[in-house]
Amino acid sequence: MIEISELSFAFKDYQEGNYKPIFENLNLKVAKGQKLLILGVPDSGKSTLARIISALIPRHVEGEISGSIKVNSLDILKIEAWELTDKLTLVTQNPQEQLLMTSLVDEIAFPLESLGFNQKEIEKRVVSSLKRWNLEEMGEVNPQETSGGERKRLLLATTEAIDADVWIMDEPFDDLDYKYKNLLAKRIKESDKTVVVFASRYIGEYKGVFDSFGLIKDKHIVVDQKDEILKLYEQESERSFVTTDVKLQKLHSKTLRVKDLKIVHQRFSVKADNPFTLNAKDFYVESGEVVALVGPNGSGKSTFSRVLCGLDPYLDGSISIDGKVATSKELNRNVAYLFQNPDFGIFLPTVEDELSWSMRHDKQKAKKVANEVASLFHLDLKDNPTMMSYGSRKHLQAAVYYILERPFVIIDELDSGVTYAAAYEIISLLRLRGAAIVIITHDQEFAKSLATRQYVIENKEVIEKGEYGDN
Amino acid sequence: MVTTSLYIAGRGFLYKFDPRAKLFTLLALTLLLFLGSNHASLWLLNLAVFLLALYSTNFKQSLQPLKTIIFLVIIMILFVPLTYRDGTVVIKIGNFTVATKEALFNLNLLVARFLGITYMATLFIWTTKMVDIQLALRWYGLSYSGTLIVTLAFRFIPSVADSFQMIQDAHLLRSASDSTSSKRRIVDVVPTVTAALVVALKSIPYMAMSLEHRGFGRDNKRGSYRYLDPQFGLWLHFLIAVVVIGVAYFAFNIF
Repeated sequence: MIEISELSFAFKDYQEGNYKPIFENLNLKVAKGQKLLILGVPDSGKSTLARIISALIPRHVEGEISGSIKVNSLDILKIEAWELTDKLTLVTQNPQEQLLMTSLVDEIAFPLESLGFNQKEIEKRVVSSLKRWNLEEMGEVNPQETSGGERKRLLLATTEAIDADVWIMDEPFDDLDYKYKNLLAKRIKESDKTVVVFASRYIGEYKGVFDSFGLIKDKHIVVDQKDEILKLYEQESERSFVTTDVKLQKLHSKTLRVKDLKIVHQRFSVKADNPFTLNAKDFYVESGEVVALVGPNGSGKSTFSRVLCGLDPYLDGSISIDGKVATSKELNRNVAYLFQNPDFGIFLPTVEDELSWSMRHDKQKAKKVANEVASLFHLDLKDNPTMMSYGSRKHLQAAVYYILERPFVIIDELDSGVTYAAAYEIISLLRLRGAAIVIITHDQEFAKSLATRQYVIENKEVIEKGEYGDN
Repeated sequence: MVTTSLYIAGRGFLYKFDPRAKLFTLLALTLLLFLGSNHASLWLLNLAVFLLALYSTNFKQSLQPLKTIIFLVIIMILFVPLTYRDGTVVIKIGNFTVATKEALFNLNLLVARFLGITYMATLFIWTTKMVDIQLALRWYGLSYSGTLIVTLAFRFIPSVADSFQMIQDAHLLRSASDSTSSKRRIVDVVPTVTAALVVALKSIPYMAMSLEHRGFGRDNKRGSYRYLDPQFGLWLHFLIAVVVIGVAYFAFNIF
């Protein structure tokens, strides 16, 4: 079904002007109906390989490629991507990259129209796939107005509507809540498709889903028994970062408290009869503690976070810091928000510029602090952030807020696309100065291992669900 | 989060008006705005379009097009009078003629036309789904690729605007503790715009990849999920369009 022989690929490195090898003589065979999980630390080439198999690289990304890749006997290096539409479907890690249309229905219908299906058939497939992924009531909503998890479900619904024989999925479980993680696991397990899932960590939901396991290591893929692969993966992920000995210092003591908060949020593409609402009766977080905020896709975790840091208004209630009601400007100054996409938070030509930016009025101090923080977060001051790996950009994003010393930090889906080890390290570093951390995650294991308390968003309410236990 | 959505769900006739007839009306009224020089009719048309926007959406939303172009309108008000030096002097400071009767006449005309076109085009986009615009353009003979390019451009703009908003928010959170002057704030706009451009440029190859992966480029006949199905028949919608254009035409009295 998929046969890769002696694949070598090198990216054009625009900084150095040469080619940087990603794979060297890589071999892989995936039989019809096989369910293969390929693990790899961030930046090991998972997304690149997924796109090469889908005939999108090197067509759209400059690089040197050699070897052979066959999908259903089709030579991938000689065909165009559109020839694969009915044979292979790719789900990318960042769903935003694949969205084309202005409603969920049209997004799913687009590839079916390309394949020449008649209206009746398209409608049948659109309706059934929307229903399967519980999106039927959002059919006319603009995908830009949906949450990350809803977008991921849209891509999965599109995959099922196309019904190709091969599914290539890059971190498909990221962004999905517990319910949909399990649904995806069930769909993969029960389908007769050939499925290749790329992931940067092993999560509980994978249990019993895959029949074969691989690991991207040293520009190759190693395929072996599950236990062997997991052991190798542990070694790789530990190797991918340098651990930092963190001693927690509680330098200041502050409390952020929310009382009787009511948030109303409007979607423009559908009628305003039933706007999105969220209530938080009592929410608080104190210096030095880590609190988890969990909830289903689209429940309003990001909306709540934006209100907490003063970016969006609220309708009723109050947000206070140390008992004093805070204005939006005060919230801006006290509550940091690390967006899921690090690119939104970094915008200067070099790491040094980024780290010095908040101290740009005192150049001497800026240089000294930038040097110290770069070393702490394993960053190279001369690097260009846009050319850095995803994991390094996440580190840089965190380093920026470390310098700013915000007493409260909200981290949105930090565990997405990075190893657990790297995520733990970033949180530990941010706690060094006693910051209170709110982590937004769908990964219960990750939340349990870090947080002391958890809040859950259920039925449009933010509710405290008690303590996880001593950490 | 501020989402710059093009289509705004609302109420009223415009949402039921067939996009082909609506597009025809938009083009004809735009032409009339350029040809017409009757000030009262121009402002009357502007008022009608504003009231339609107000009815279709809400007060806050209906002011949005005005907010978008207000800076340009101010520039027009400040500089257009200076380009007409001859005629009856209306405003004078010392020996300097600030505005003549002819200048104010032309300024009024320009502002009314600019506002009218902005409001009509915005209202068309607010009340018509992008797929329906695509189908209307195809009905008028534009190729599928051509219509897709037009609609993708319209989709791309709000997506970039969304990214810009996120970057601006991130920037705001990073610089919140600064006691920045207005000058400093203006200087700091540059990295925000640069970051938005980088995000926009990065998204172009992804969009191309997605289009090809979703089958754009295949040589088989393309299917269509949506069809335009006007209530009571297309001819009635075009009849309404002709009546609206006719009324406007006589109101402008351009013979």
